[in-house]
Order: sequence, then structure tokens, then C-alpha cells
Amino acid sequence: MRALFAALSGGIFGAGLLLSGMTDTTKVQGWLDVFGNWDPTLAFVLGGAIVPMAITWRLAARRQTSWLGTPLPAQPNPKLDRSLIAGSVLFGAGWALAGLCPGPAIASLSFGGWGGVVFLLAMLAGMLVAPALRRPLDRPARAGAKMDIRAITPTYAVSPQIALEDLPAIKAAGYTTLINNRPDGEIPPHLHHAQMQAAAQALGLIYVQNPVIGGAMTDANIAAQGAAIAASTGPVFAYCASGNRSSVVWALSNAGKMPTDDLIGLPARFGYQLEGLRGQIDAMVKS
Amino acid sequence: MIPTEWLFGLAGGLMIGLAASLYLLVNGRIMGASGILGGLVDGTGRGTTAERVAFLAGCLIVPALIAWAIGGARTNITGNFAVIMAAGLLVGIGTRLANGCTSGHGVCGISRLSPRGIIATVCYLLAGGIVMATARHLWGLI
Repeated sequence: MRALFAALSGGIFGAGLLLSGMTDTTKVQGWLDVFGNWDPTLAFVLGGAIVPMAITWRLAARRQTSWLGTPLPAQPNPKLDRSLIAGSVLFGAGWALAGLCPGPAIASLSFGGWGGVVFLLAMLAGMLVAPALRRPLDRPARAGAKMDIRAITPTYAVSPQIALEDLPAIKAAGYTTLINNRPDGEIPPHLHHAQMQAAAQALGLIYVQNPVIGGAMTDANIAAQGAAIAASTGPVFAYCASGNRSSVVWALSNAGKMPTDDLIGLPARFGYQLEGLRGQIDAMVKS
Repeated sequence: MIPTEWLFGLAGGLMIGLAASLYLLVNGRIMGASGILGGLVDGTGRGTTAERVAFLAGCLIVPALIAWAIGGARTNITGNFAVIMAAGLLVGIGTRLANGCTSGHGVCGISRLSPRGIIATVCYLLAGGIVMATARHLWGLI
């Protein structure tokens, strides 16, 4: 059923791309050629697509799930990261050079000749290498800044080990609860639980100690993380050595509360590979 | 008199909006071509493979049938394969880094007044305009 409607939507999308002229590279390049013989057709295409979609978002806002029962996508974290800007600039450059973006590249594949095939293959290669380029981009923007807030959702962020001096910035970023997911045994003494707790509470942060042993996460760990998140009045900031354990324990504590794809896909944006947990999450959802 | 191309653009745009609406209201997903395809390429879309493949198949087959019925369609793409390869790489890398392209950020993002979608669209339009001006009018490349 899902696939049937996906195919229908894809078909209408493809037909719309062809009819509108988006598969004609001269029209796309003409639209971008502001200093030459400018072609405004694409403004009609975008306008024609955005108006019905704006109405649809209004309709969707009244619902929790789609007609097939999938939770509707939440408004993404409004954070503007460097990947978004750099990626969009690169995409715009490529779009101008060939006059094709991903949708029309697929829709025109049957009649686009070798040029279209080569474009699609190059695009697939680009998509394959993109994750490797994302990691250096997502490192903190300020030179010398050690802290790296990785907002998995607007209300939950993870980070590698923080220093006591990072706490004011965490507080200033709006986080109200700090979760330490590292056992003391693996941390230098000046960053131990007691020191972190004192510094966090001095700033008015709620501090939760939930030590997770790498590879040996317990049900109690998962429950404690979930309880701390549920009890928090504001966004939660959790850290461990890399942010991986804080991501895993978050994903497991949210099993069934969010789509499994999101529980895996959101941490993946920061390089945390949770795909291996899919079976465990699905089993938790069923039980 | 409005040029017929603009009317075709508007009609095609409405169909794109309809397709995006259907994908959101029925399947509960954001219709972004680069995301649907990219999830298959880098493995982040495992578990939703059937839905993605079905969407892409529809997007490929329906225009193919229409093009056949009307006696062919043209992309008028450049014959310079070095430019095509560079462009494809840039589009592939860029849309995955930005988590979206014209459909995801442009259509679905702007219509929702999403700050990320709006910023992304401004960035790729500006970059596209600058590259077009440089590559066409300064270098005569395209």
C-alpha cells in the first residue's frame, strides 16, 4: 500500500517535472542566467508547487499521523549548520553547470541520452562520498572551541566529553538538564561525577549521573535516560566519550515513541552508526 | 498574453505540489528527490527501501511513457562530459550535505516556512546564479 502510493506520488512528480520544463536544462539554466536572457518559467513552477503544499502543511498540522499511520515529520531543528550552507552552495553550482537537479535527473533518464546517464552516475558517486565530507564540516565553527553540541533533536543533544568551563555555554544554549553517561573510571579525576555535578548545580542545571559501560548497556541505563529526559523541563544535554553511548541510550529509550528510521537517522547525521540497533529497537516496539 | 511556457510551468508546478502533498499526507514523508535516492545509496534508508524504489520507479516510468506518447522529449544537456561529471558530483555531494534539494528544501521546506529550507534555497539559487554568470558569460563554458 505504501509502495503503491509512493509510486503514484513519484509518477505525478515526474510528470509534473516534464510538463513544467524542469527536465529541460536550457529552461533551468535560463532561470539561473540572471545576467543573460533570463527565463522566469521556474518561478511559476516553484510557485505552483509551493502553494498547494503550503495548504497541505496546514492540513497536516491538525494530524498526528499520515493516512497510513506514519508519524508526520516534525519541524526540523532550525539550527543552520555549515553542512546546510556549504552543501546548498555546491548543489547550486552543479545545478547551474548541467541544468539538472536530482528529481529531473531521474525523470529525464529515459530520454536524456548518455549525458543524463553520466550525470546520474556522477550524482550517485557524490551521494556516496558525501557522508565522509560531512564530519569535518560538523566540527565546531569557532577555532579552538572544544565543545561540540550535536543536537539530535531540538530537545536532546549529545557531545563528546565536556570540560567544566563548557557548562556556562551549555546553560546559555538553553539546556536545563545535563546527563553524564561516563563511568568515573574512564575519566580524569578533575572531570569526575562529583566535580561535574557540583559545577552543573552551581549554574542551576539539573545533573543526572547515568554511567553506561561501552558495549554493556543495561535496561536500567535505558530507563534512567528516558526518565531524566521525561523529567526535564527543557532541552537535555548528554555526554560520554564520543557522544555515541548518549545517542544509543537515547534511541533505545525512545523506541516506539519515534519512528525507528528517525532514531537511527538523526544520530547518523553526526556520524553515530546505530543501524545495528534496528532489530533491538523493533523488538522493543513490539514487546 | 502570458507565454504558454509559463502556464506549462504553473501546471507542472501544481502537479509537483500535488505529488508532495500525497507523499506527506498518505505516506507521512517529505518528498525530497535527493533524500529518497540518497537513502538508498548510502544505506540510511534501509527499512523503507520498497517505498523509495516505488517512488523513483514512478518518477522514471511515467515521464518515459509521456515522452514516448508525445513523440520524444529533450533535456538539451551539454555535450561536454567533463562538465556533466563535475556537475553530477557537485549535485550529489551538495544535496546530501544540505539534506535536500529543490524538492525537499525548495518545495517542501519553503511551503512550511522552515528556516533551513528557506536558507538552503537562497544559497543554491545565489550559487547557481553566480556560477551561471561566471561559467557562461566570463568563461564561455556552458
